[in-house]
Amino acid sequence: MSKQATRRLPRIAAWLVSGAAGLAVALFVFAWSGIYNVAASSGHWAAIDWFLAFGMRNSVSLRAKAITAPKLDDPNLIRLGAAHFHGGCAFCHGAPGIPVSPIARHMLPSPPDLATSMRPWTDEELFWIVKHGIKYTGMPGWVALERADEIWAVIAFLKRLPELDAKSYRALALGDVELAGQSGQALATVESNPQGAGACARCHGAESSGPTSALVPILHGQPPEFLMAALREYADGSRSSGIMQPLAADLGGQDVERLAAYYANLVPKRTPSTTGTRPSERGRALAREGDPANAIPACDACHGRDGLARYPRLAGQNAAYMAGQLRLWAAGHHASTGGGAIMAPIARRLSEPDIEAVTAYFAALASEPAGAKP
Amino acid sequence: MTARQSCWYLPVATSLLGGCGWHQSVLNPEGQEALRLAQLAWLLFGFGAAVLAIVILAAVAAVRGPEPVRAVLASARMVVWAGIFFPAVALTGLLGYGVWVTRASIADPGDGGQLRIVVTGEQWWWRVHYPQGAGPAIETANEIRIPVGRSIQFELRSADVIHSFWVPNLGGKVDMIPGRTTFLRLGADREGVFRGQCAEYCGGPHALMALEVIAMDSAAFDGWLQNQTRLASDPGSAIARRGRELFLGAGCGACHTVRGTAAGGTIGPDLTHLGARRSVGVDTAALSEASIARFIREGQHIKPGNRMPPFRIFAPDDLHAVATYLAALR
Repeated sequence: MSKQATRRLPRIAAWLVSGAAGLAVALFVFAWSGIYNVAASSGHWAAIDWFLAFGMRNSVSLRAKAITAPKLDDPNLIRLGAAHFHGGCAFCHGAPGIPVSPIARHMLPSPPDLATSMRPWTDEELFWIVKHGIKYTGMPGWVALERADEIWAVIAFLKRLPELDAKSYRALALGDVELAGQSGQALATVESNPQGAGACARCHGAESSGPTSALVPILHGQPPEFLMAALREYADGSRSSGIMQPLAADLGGQDVERLAAYYANLVPKRTPSTTGTRPSERGRALAREGDPANAIPACDACHGRDGLARYPRLAGQNAAYMAGQLRLWAAGHHASTGGGAIMAPIARRLSEPDIEAVTAYFAALASEPAGAKP
Repeated sequence: MTARQSCWYLPVATSLLGGCGWHQSVLNPEGQEALRLAQLAWLLFGFGAAVLAIVILAAVAAVRGPEPVRAVLASARMVVWAGIFFPAVALTGLLGYGVWVTRASIADPGDGGQLRIVVTGEQWWWRVHYPQGAGPAIETANEIRIPVGRSIQFELRSADVIHSFWVPNLGGKVDMIPGRTTFLRLGADREGVFRGQCAEYCGGPHALMALEVIAMDSAAFDGWLQNQTRLASDPGSAIARRGRELFLGAGCGACHTVRGTAAGGTIGPDLTHLGARRSVGVDTAALSEASIARFIREGQHIKPGNRMPPFRIFAPDDLHAVATYLAALR
């Protein structure tokens, strides 16, 4: 660098600093004056709209590069994702046969109607968006960030969404539940909306029908104490689930007791095990005797017929659901609840083949209603 | 002398006071085996001190001494005799003496007739088993009761990793090695409680893996042993009965045995006579209903990393009932 240029450097730096300071002051005065119109009703200028969308697309695609999607063609995963989509996403994003709510349509930016116009995101990009949400758009992050398994269920469903019509969508999202049309009086006076009324049954079934997805637990005939504890743990977030927490947190007053009593009194229905794994000797041994050499206690000591009503009964439960919970505990999730604190260390001692064996064993057992025991 | 000058050595001197305790001190032998080890130790200290004094004198003489002394110290014969021959003879002699002195502590496993106690080190507690021949098995945990004045044969095992059994007041330290049985003979010359400690790092709460050897007079020991053979007593009160029901319903029996009930687990300590023990959670708290309740609920705070999950599911009344039941198991 020449001597002359070196001498000019301080002057250039001074200009740059005062320029930046002036810009900051101008921006502050702009915001302070209130000239900028924050109205959602007026929309963005086209150029700004393009610029924001351009930045958003690039940000999502950069951050999604570190993610690898698992296999997403399991029908259980798709059904679980569909049922959650119906309650959690359709209000803003619409669904086949369900238009975007007029309220949501007047947000800025207005949420895309995913049934008709979903951008060609990759699975990993969709996962990132559903998990983290998008700033300044109203798209929220997932309630339980650590539950990637739940988020992938939603992505599995979103992949199927473009090929669904209204009828196949309802079959997927609402399962066997028949929502009876509410009377005029009920519509006029009941606070909860009719979509919410069937919220539990969408996933868990009701009356004589069980869950449509093997990833969802069968609640029929479970002890009410266990069901109430689970709902309260979901509601306060100590048991993490982006699907269950918003629903459980909505329950007020005596809802928890009434719901628990309802499911506890239903007769458990055999749903055929979908794992295809035959119950093994190892599964039976773990359940009945445990594996003392590896400090694994027998499951039946707590989950058998004589266990406390605070514990779930496992006979006839969905294997995929049980295995999923064991893996969550082993990975250190929801270990702070009363039951989780007991199960987490035990789950960590189970190998993957152990998890498959013992869940297949319980899934193949005939369930017995907890009410049969005093 | 100023106060400042007089105090510089105090931190060093006071830190040495830590060695003055009676507990877990090899310098306070309370049994024949420990006595022999202490004799050996004192002999070694004395011999080592004498050798050190001679070396220091020789070093001074080699620098400051008269010419003839320095010539002797610098000679090749001095190196051969004092540097090679003397250490070889002295160390060989000491080794022989050490083996001879401790020969009785390395118990002969073939010797029947005497009291045998099997101690198994587990992460992070001690399973204590009194073989009774044809009689009922006696199992307890973390405390070992022995009769005064008898030499007891210990069989030491490990269920997982290497532990080391050491009760310094009573004798030497012997490793517990997975897949092997090691032997140790110990005894106490007077009644008392002698603390022991796992002396080989075994992970997690190793530092809290302590035990107590309780030496009792012969008649009291026989009474204790007789009581241990009994099945668990029936709960005497309604609250204890409720405690038993909760204990079984909560699945405690999957890990713990209470002989005489459906609880037959072998993963954790046998609780058949928990109420007759001195402590809860491997010597971390004196035995009481409150400390039992606290260990059930907050065991991971009292002894972090232990294998028992915290049972926070109990309502306060229920927890009290379970603790009442367990404390009454005498």
